Amino acid sequence: MRASVRCALRCCGVALLWAAAASAHAQNIPATNVPDAITRKTGLHLEPMSHASRLYAENCQGCHGPEGVSVTEIPTLAGRIGYFARTPEGRSYLVQVPNVALNPNSDQDIAELMNWLLNTYSRAQLPPDFQPYSTAEVAVLRTARIDVATQRRRIVEQLLLLRQIPSADVLANAHASLY
Amino acid sequence: MKPICTNRFDRLIETLSRTAAQRVSRRSFLSNCGTWLVAASALPLLPVARQAQASDDPHRSKAAGKYASDFANHAQTSDPTKCNYWRYCSSDGYLCACCGGGPSTCPAGTSPSPTSWVGSCINPDDGKTYLIAYRDCCGQDSCGRCACLGQEGDMPSYRPQVNNDIVWCFGASSMVYHCSSAGLVGLVE
Repeated sequence: MRASVRCALRCCGVALLWAAAASAHAQNIPATNVPDAITRKTGLHLEPMSHASRLYAENCQGCHGPEGVSVTEIPTLAGRIGYFARTPEGRSYLVQVPNVALNPNSDQDIAELMNWLLNTYSRAQLPPDFQPYSTAEVAVLRTARIDVATQRRRIVEQLLLLRQIPSADVLANAHASLY
Repeated sequence: MKPICTNRFDRLIETLSRTAAQRVSRRSFLSNCGTWLVAASALPLLPVARQAQASDDPHRSKAAGKYASDFANHAQTSDPTKCNYWRYCSSDGYLCACCGGGPSTCPAGTSPSPTSWVGSCINPDDGKTYLIAYRDCCGQDSCGRCACLGQEGDMPSYRPQVNNDIVWCFGASSMVYHCSSAGLVGLVE
């Protein structure tokens, strides 16, 4: 009789412990450091991105950086792509670079992206009479497949000859394999 | 006509079938049978409750869920250590939030890769689409905790800019992959 009472008490104790552990597990620890919890609490309001900046973010920003400057392995866009727009060949080259020409977006989107890109990151280098890219122009330019490194070298030499760039250094890349 | 059968039960059946044979036309039986056959086979062709299958608009279809993205239909916004946290819709790898970092921060001892790829996820809190930068943390051995595989917008490796199978440590001091983070880039719509 005594043994059975002890056994029952022990069982009760185990059950209590188990219940306590279960309730501790079920307790929701408030996730105060979760960004969304903070956002909800502070009522942070984000403005939607423009279509062009969205195109840049989705297609270019990952490597070229949100400011158009990235690591030495990736060519810098900011403060220099505008130079290319100073000759017709250079203007074509900007659209014929493989990652622009072969981009899955439409000609209209590419035209919008290029105009936004040049005006946002390299307005000071654009020629004074710069004409924005049109959809039709991009459509034609994108069909060409160029030898990128050779074409780039030729354009830089030409820009230098026409005194459109102060020196070849402004368009130089850290690695010879880059274009 | 007097029934032939002697057994009571047999007689009953015989009477019933003889009566039926005398009163019911076999032609009408055949035509009725044909009508039912045609009706039964034609029933599924009727435009009844087929909206769910026919609808290509995900917002109208209940079976497809609220959003076009299957991930977003099961996503949550409170626990970044779970695979179904809304920002991980394209994340492939170990969650930095489980490895000593946060959903968009690297654990101590690793450094964020200067390059990343950008995808988009739907936040179920407001139903809006946000751009997310998938940035790997590099410099330590694989974390090994919370392996997740989100595949929204993931493209084959011949489009490496938007592929999550490759190690995104380009430009980092070390190409050794530790974990994947998902930082917010901006609101799309």
